[in-house]
Amino acid sequence: MTFVVPVGPQHPALKEPEFFKFEVKGEEIVDVDIRFGYAHKGIEEALQRRDYKHDVYLVERICGICNVVHTTTYCQAVEKLAGVEPPERAKYIRVIILELERIHSHLLWFGIAAHQIGFNTLFMLAWRDRERVMDLRELISGNRVTSATNTIGGVRRDVKPEQVSTILRGLDELERSAEYYIDLFSSDRTILARCTDVGVLTKDDARKFCAVGPLARASGVDTDVRSDHPYAVYDKLSFKVITEREGDVWAKSIVRLREILESIRIVRQAIKEMPIGPIRTKVNIEIPRNETIERAEAPRGELFYYALSNGTERPERVRVRTPTYANFASIKRMFVGGTVAEIPIVMWSIDPCFTCNDRVSLVDSRTGKTFTLSLEELRKWRL
Amino acid sequence: MNAKEVTTLIKDYVDEIKTVKDEYLFATTDKQRYREAMLALKTQDVQHIFTITGVDQGKTVEVIYHFDCRPVLLNLKISLPKNELRIPTITDIFPGAILYERELMEMFGVKVEGHPDPRRLFLPEDWPDGEYPLRKEWRERKK
Repeated sequence: MTFVVPVGPQHPALKEPEFFKFEVKGEEIVDVDIRFGYAHKGIEEALQRRDYKHDVYLVERICGICNVVHTTTYCQAVEKLAGVEPPERAKYIRVIILELERIHSHLLWFGIAAHQIGFNTLFMLAWRDRERVMDLRELISGNRVTSATNTIGGVRRDVKPEQVSTILRGLDELERSAEYYIDLFSSDRTILARCTDVGVLTKDDARKFCAVGPLARASGVDTDVRSDHPYAVYDKLSFKVITEREGDVWAKSIVRLREILESIRIVRQAIKEMPIGPIRTKVNIEIPRNETIERAEAPRGELFYYALSNGTERPERVRVRTPTYANFASIKRMFVGGTVAEIPIVMWSIDPCFTCNDRVSLVDSRTGKTFTLSLEELRKWRL
Repeated sequence: MNAKEVTTLIKDYVDEIKTVKDEYLFATTDKQRYREAMLALKTQDVQHIFTITGVDQGKTVEVIYHFDCRPVLLNLKISLPKNELRIPTITDIFPGAILYERELMEMFGVKVEGHPDPRRLFLPEDWPDGEYPLRKEWRERKK
């Protein structure tokens, strides 16, 4: 006999509500179903009603955490449609701010992952370090989160020479912390016990269900848009694509932590090699009929845009496929066969744009009676 | 596969191929031949589908399948007339397309035949039947 454990859709702890229906047999998960759309904002439709410049601000608000990668992909798509090339310096600034975004996103993820396995001190440490990245982002763009850096044809703010030493100092501190976390995640007994062989996604499944980003790389799929299809100036910078073979929660964590180190390397190179020059080209936004696709590597994986212009100032169609959406097809494989106690960390291991453990209702499938578990009770369950 | 290899592989199943900078291809096909093109891609170990895009072109709905042929990217287009909006599923060839086909159904009203789970994806349960928010008619009405 199976029970249904609904998780969601009310998740005030993080911003995106979703609904998961877990079918469990005792402790074991036998099936999972997802219901999306609780925060569907109709942005694809809204993009068609505004002009290209206005849309930059709209795509920036698709995701609060990875807003720079959305505007970069969108602006690159529109630049391709219009046939313009942004100045070199603007491309370097885009890379710097993109990689700072990756560091911040991975540290945010890492902190919550530590919290999910009951390691709250590590959560505090990770978020303390995340503040350092946020400070650097504020220094460069004027904003901690929504950077408003990108515009069609380049960037809006320059990196000033007097900011460089602060950025480099910040990166040194971040590097020390990331190395410490990698060491900790490779040696701590509790972490290993909670994360190894949990929520495994095999390489075959990762490819079959088109997983992207750290999720695919942790399963041994060597995919990274930055090296497969270099955009901005990634072809001029040296970095490694981090992969692991195991496909479990541990591999997904280590991939992200080691990517922080690579991001730090990229920012250092970009700062050193950045040429002097203009940061923006003027673009006529009355773009003749044309179509293009554009990809970028967001912190959570490949972000995909399709854009179609029609000769006016407004796009005919803009299609956005976010990395979390791509990763949901493989979610069943990671849960089925696991236990209820693993739900929070496995769910968080795909780094979705939400978390789902602040309230759980249990339904007895025989009597139809519903009862609710609090977050505290759920925590107790998994210990 | 590079742009040339992909062109050779699918040229019997498509009408016109537009290559952009050897990086990506736009190809037009039809309902009779698109599955053969996809099966041909599958034999060359193409497994990654980025997404499926629907575009309302007035009298037709254009369905675009975006594939990663590493390194070249292929965009396979099929035009469906609005009075005949049905297309067989591709989830048997590319299981990763399962959610994208569900979105195509609810946003454009394209009936994906043989889909293993044809429920709504993003739209709420009480959304009226026959209302497809990414169709031009819908936009005109809601202005």
